[in-house]
Amino acid sequence: MDAIFSLDFMLTVVQEAFRLEIIIFAALGVFTGVTVGAIPGISGDIAIALLLPFVYNLHPVPALGLLLGIYKGNMFGGAISAITFGVPGTGGAVVTVEDGYPAKKNGYPKKAMLTALYSSVTGDIISTVILVFLALPLAMIALKFGPREYFSLYVFAILIISFLLQGGMKKGLVTAAIGLLIGCIGLDPITGATRLTFGFSLLRGGMPLIPLLIGVFAISEVMTQFIKTWHRNRSISIKGLSELSSKQSEENSYDPSKDIMSFKVYLSTLKATITGSAIGTFIGALPGAGSSLAAFVSYGMAKRFSSCPEQFGKGSLEGVAAPEAGNSATVGSSMIPLITFGIPGSATAALIGAAFMLMGMQPGPMMMQDNMPIMYTFFVVILYASIMNWGISYFLIPFYAKIAMIKPRFIYPSVFILAILGTYASRNSIIDIWLLLVAGLLGTLLKKAKYPLGPLVLAYIIGPGAERSLRQALLIGRGEWGSLLKSPIAIGFYAVTVVVIILITKVSFKKS
Amino acid sequence: MRMNKKFLILFNVIFLLVFVSISSFATQYPEEKAIRIISPTGAGGSNDIVSRLVTSSAQQIVGQRMDAVAMPGAGGQEAINFVMNESHDGYTFLITDYGNLVAAALREKFGYDFSEWKPIVQITEYIPTIFVKEDSPIKDANDWITKAKAEPNKFSIAHGTNLCPPHVGLILIEKAADIQNSWVPTSGGSEALAFVLGGHVDIASSIPTTIASSVDAGLVRALGLTSAERSKFLPDTPTFKELGYNVVSTSWLMIFAYKDVPEDRIEFMENKLLEALNTKGAQAMAKKLNIELSLQGREESQKIYSRTIEDLTSLFADLGMLKK
Repeated sequence: MDAIFSLDFMLTVVQEAFRLEIIIFAALGVFTGVTVGAIPGISGDIAIALLLPFVYNLHPVPALGLLLGIYKGNMFGGAISAITFGVPGTGGAVVTVEDGYPAKKNGYPKKAMLTALYSSVTGDIISTVILVFLALPLAMIALKFGPREYFSLYVFAILIISFLLQGGMKKGLVTAAIGLLIGCIGLDPITGATRLTFGFSLLRGGMPLIPLLIGVFAISEVMTQFIKTWHRNRSISIKGLSELSSKQSEENSYDPSKDIMSFKVYLSTLKATITGSAIGTFIGALPGAGSSLAAFVSYGMAKRFSSCPEQFGKGSLEGVAAPEAGNSATVGSSMIPLITFGIPGSATAALIGAAFMLMGMQPGPMMMQDNMPIMYTFFVVILYASIMNWGISYFLIPFYAKIAMIKPRFIYPSVFILAILGTYASRNSIIDIWLLLVAGLLGTLLKKAKYPLGPLVLAYIIGPGAERSLRQALLIGRGEWGSLLKSPIAIGFYAVTVVVIILITKVSFKKS
Repeated sequence: MRMNKKFLILFNVIFLLVFVSISSFATQYPEEKAIRIISPTGAGGSNDIVSRLVTSSAQQIVGQRMDAVAMPGAGGQEAINFVMNESHDGYTFLITDYGNLVAAALREKFGYDFSEWKPIVQITEYIPTIFVKEDSPIKDANDWITKAKAEPNKFSIAHGTNLCPPHVGLILIEKAADIQNSWVPTSGGSEALAFVLGGHVDIASSIPTTIASSVDAGLVRALGLTSAERSKFLPDTPTFKELGYNVVSTSWLMIFAYKDVPEDRIEFMENKLLEALNTKGAQAMAKKLNIELSLQGREESQKIYSRTIEDLTSLFADLGMLKK
């Protein structure tokens, strides 16, 4: 232990970590991750998987810097598409759409993107620091989460989000139920039997995420805007040209001088950022929980404790900061179970684990001990990759903000084409295009009826895990439902859920 | 002059066409394009790691780029369908254990017959391994079996997905020892390990590569293996056969070609893959990855494959799990 803190060791680590080769690879990784994350349909996982064969021929630290850079950049990159087009670029950016897209419509896309960036980097750094200094204690807490605890966490997340998002409690629960039903398509998580596939073998793996996400958000938005424009053009043709010119001036009303980020604005979102960072760090350390869950719970808690909760869903920057901090904070902490026990915290962490193995480092309890100089160099690289993420993205944002304010009549057709291309690119399947259009129709109908889309997506993402946890818990408890409460952690989550729901319901009754 | 110019252009065009035709005829296998090894499990998992070992070791010897492609959708069937639907020209192969290719197809109708798949080489074997947390009150395998006999369904056992190799190994042990435990399917070996370490289940079944580092660190104890001989990664762990239970159940990991791939190309791949995996470089890489190579050629692999189909058919018939 003394060796770690000796000056010689630290100097060696720092010298190694700041080699030009490593800096270049980490920067390349961040740039790739941000770019790929901003394109709906292409995920950072694809980029990492494609690079794995080349990783074997590189020195471990630059290789891992490259892969971690992609992972980090990808988490923020998803927000760019969420804010610009209203389409989450990654699963972790789904809830960023709730406030990021209205922020862009309200004329401050750059402020929203910078808020997303600063909170993303803050969350990332906090969880990386915890990875370096508190990995083992947090891993031991994460191990306490078994099926009962996971199920209680999923129940908490679905109910809180259903109650807190725009549209009201009943509508939130309805869309969550739809999401759960969609999540049931495919293989039974316990028996492996096929269900709800209607004979389509491609549905055996379930409703694919990409067509659902892009359809529900992008296609529904394009369809909604098309319907609005059609109605508007009808009324213009009746009322005359004066209406047309006033509508055109609305399109041209973006004023970059009013879309400026300040330190004061950052401070106003700090509480939400810290909330998201803490929640994201914790959830990231739970194997399989995922960045989407972290983002949703962070959003829900930030709204609950905000001084202006009524602004959420209308372009609140806190509503952007919390989920972005939450999803980015899972990056560092998802490495914790991998490094301490050899259990990947996420699918991306599993890929990073494969990279470790290809380089001769076996993830697990002996990893730190057997590879100490490399691991500490790796930690330094992870930390400065976060700063690189900030620097590189900061220079890309003005460019993306300009794209965000391109006139809708040019943007929406482009979004439609990109949606189709991105969806087809993921599996080369024409059935995915049909699923995309069906999901788009569903999203359009829900939007028209003012049902929130967030609970649908959250329930779809975590529903299978919730079902699996519930059934595992019942198998362990020999079929007794009471066994679900034989866990203080689970009882704690249920109690918090009930308290929060009561408080929300009270506030709603007072308002009405 | 005009006639000469036209004649010259025509001559060049004909020459180019003939040249290109000859060139394509002259292309030898496998020079045409990259070879792909498709895995039905996710990137980063055990199959994917072995697939990358194969491709990185073999591409120089094969003389063509080899790509390891993970295609985990539809419970593994996406990868299987992909290989079936690609041209059967010897450039696309499947790497899998029996879980996705055989076990799943015995329970549900898919668009293939087992005879359509031709094993080329066996790379390794997965050995179902029963393990507990280090401080578990279960002392050893015999202690587990004695306690389980005294109180059926007393113990909860986590394993991977339903009827994966570690689960099948567990079923066979229970049959041989006449015991009953409460099975808890998980998403894979890592989750099963996490459940044991967290004390959520009493026992788990996985493979040595998943638990070896935890065994070395003293966090878990392996009770027994279902192989014929001990694993070099767990040299102190007895086999159930040594303990007196007639259970030998391992899962091969093989590379398959789909029906009409030309025989000469299959033979070429068999020779090259075996040559590549027998090199010192491949052996060293396998050791780094905790993979115990267990190489078999086509003939032996076919026998093992056929035996597996028979054994699993019989087991599933006993359990009432065969498709109707």
